[in-house]
Amino acid sequence: MKFGIFFEMSTPRPFTGGIERQVYDNALEQARLADELGFDTVWAVEHHFLEEYSHCSAPEVVLAAIAGQTSRIRVGHGAVVCVPEMNHPIRVAERAAVLDIISGGRLELGTARSSTWTELGGFEADPDETKKTWDEYVRVLPKLWGPGPVSHQGHAFSMPERNVLPKPLQDPHPPLWVTVTSPGTELDAADRGLGCLGVAAAGYDEQERRTKEYHRRIQQCDPVSSVVNDQVTTLNFLYCHEDPAVAAKRGMGMVGLFGLANSHLLWTREAYPTRAYQSLGNLSPGARSGSGSPGEKYGIPEGIVVGDPDLVYKAIERWESVGVDGVNFLVNALEVLPQDQVLDSMRLFAAEVMPRFQKGA
Amino acid sequence: MLTGTATIDDLPAGTVPTWDIEPVTLDGFEIVQALFELRTAGRQSVLPPALHPTNPPTLVVQVWRCAGSPWGPFELAQVRVQCRSGLRPRGFVIGAVVDNEAAGSGLAAGWGFAPTLGEVRLRRYYDETTAEVDLDGHPVLRLAGADPDPLGPHDVGYSSTLNLAHTPNGLRLVQLDLEVDADRVERLRPAIGAFDAAGWGNDLLDPWYPVSASIAVGRATLPPVRYCCRPDVLAFEGTETVVV
Repeated sequence: MKFGIFFEMSTPRPFTGGIERQVYDNALEQARLADELGFDTVWAVEHHFLEEYSHCSAPEVVLAAIAGQTSRIRVGHGAVVCVPEMNHPIRVAERAAVLDIISGGRLELGTARSSTWTELGGFEADPDETKKTWDEYVRVLPKLWGPGPVSHQGHAFSMPERNVLPKPLQDPHPPLWVTVTSPGTELDAADRGLGCLGVAAAGYDEQERRTKEYHRRIQQCDPVSSVVNDQVTTLNFLYCHEDPAVAAKRGMGMVGLFGLANSHLLWTREAYPTRAYQSLGNLSPGARSGSGSPGEKYGIPEGIVVGDPDLVYKAIERWESVGVDGVNFLVNALEVLPQDQVLDSMRLFAAEVMPRFQKGA
Repeated sequence: MLTGTATIDDLPAGTVPTWDIEPVTLDGFEIVQALFELRTAGRQSVLPPALHPTNPPTLVVQVWRCAGSPWGPFELAQVRVQCRSGLRPRGFVIGAVVDNEAAGSGLAAGWGFAPTLGEVRLRRYYDETTAEVDLDGHPVLRLAGADPDPLGPHDVGYSSTLNLAHTPNGLRLVQLDLEVDADRVERLRPAIGAFDAAGWGNDLLDPWYPVSASIAVGRATLPPVRYCCRPDVLAFEGTETVVV
C-alpha cells in the first residue's frame, strides 16, 4: 500500500494579509515532513479560478520547490489539464522533463481535462473537445519524450519536426496517470495502459467493481508507450488523533468545509449541455448533487480516514482489500486545522499506521 | 464562504396558502434554458442570506411553453440566479412573467411563483429558437438561440427552482423539483438582444457573457413541494421537510 498527500491549496477568504503565502508555506512544510516520514508521493493539482477551493494554478512551480526541499518522496503533477487553451502539449512535455530531472527522476505525471465551467469557460475552451484533446495528449506525450526529433499532425495541435528538450530522467518517461472523476474514465485509463488516479472517492463496493474492471481491461490494453502503469489510487482525507472523538470533530470539520467549497464550483454539465460531460465530475470525495434536501449536510464518505490509529488502519485495510494500490490524502482544507495539528496527525499516522502496511508487517 | 446579502423584505414574494396540492402534468411542453455569466461585483447582493453564489455568478433564463395544462395553454418566462442551497444547485427566481392569468395563479398557489401578467412568446424554428417577453408593450427580453445541435434527452439538466413565498410555514424559499421528460433536446448558441433588468425586478442583473442555451421538447410534471427553507439562515439550519 502506498500513501501520498495531495495539495489543493484551498484558501479561506479574504485573500489578503498573506493567507496564500501561509497556505503555500504550510504545504511545503507538510511535504518536507511527508518526505521524512516515509510517505510515497506528494501531489499538487492544477486548478484555475476556483476561489477558496483551490489556489493551485501553477503546480509545476510548487513541485519544483518541493523537489528542491526533499530527497526521497516522489512528486506528483496531478494532474496537468490536457486542454490546449490551458497547456500546450509541447510545454507539458518540456515542464515534465525538467521536473523529472531536477527531482532526480521522482516525477509522476497525471493527466486530466477539467470538469468545471469556471475553468474551461475562463480559458474559453470548448467542453465538447476536452476528451478528444486529452486522448491526443496522452498518446503524443511519450513520443515527445522519445530520443529524437518528432513531428505531429493532430486535432489539438500540429508541429513540424523538432526535438523536444530536455528528455526525462526516467526511462522511458515518468509514470502516466489519469484523474478519474466520471464513472467510466477508469476504463479509458485501462485501455491506454495508464494509472488510475482517483480524485472522487467511490464507496467500497463501487471502488471494488471499478478496480476489478480496470485490472481486467488493462490486460488487453493498447498502451500509449512501452510501459504500462497498472496502479489504482484513491483520494481520501486524513486526520489521525489518539482520541477518536477529537479526531472525528476536527477531521469532519475539515471534510465538511472542503465539501462546501467544492459545491460552489460551477460544473460544466450544469452550465453547458454536452455529451462530453455525463456526470458532474465533482472534485470532492463523496460530494452531493441533485434535487434532494438542501439541509443534508456533507455526508461522511464511506471509508473516510478520520479517527484514532486503529480506526484509520481499519479503513485503509478495507481499501486495500478492494484492490486499491494507494491512498492519497488531503491533510487540511481552507486552513481549518492549525498547522501543528496537521503535522501531528501525519506523524501519528506514520508511527502507528504506516508500519502495519509495510511488506511483511 | 460567500452568502447572499439581499434584504429579504425588499425581495418580491408569492403566496402558497397550502402545501396540500396534487401534481400537475404539463403536456406539449417546451423549455428553453439559457445561461449567462453575471459580473462578479453584485453576486451576493441578488441572493438572500440562505443562498451561496456560484463561481462565476450566473443568470439563467428559463422559458416554458405548454400546450396542455389544467389552466389551459400558457407560456412562462423566469429569470433566475444560479446558486447553492447548502450543497445543492438551485435557481433562485428573481422575476417571472406569464401570459395566462389562471396559470399564473396556479403556479403561484402551488409553487410560490409571483409572476407578472404579460406577453411571452417562445418560438421554435429549424434554424433558431426565439423567446420574447413584453410587459405593458415594453420588451424586457429578446433571446435567440441559433445553430441547433441535437443532444440526448439526459444531456441537459434543470436545477430545482427556489421561489420566495409566504407559506403555511412562514416566509420561505419554496423548492420546485420540475420533472422534465424530454423526447428531443437541442443545444443552442445564445444571444440576448434585449434585457431590461429593472423590468425583471433587479437592476443589478447584467447577463453580459453568453454561455449556453438549450431547448427540450416533451412533457413535464410539477410535483408537490417536498422542501422549503428559511431565507435568512443557511440551508443546513433552515431546511424544513414539507408536511401536509
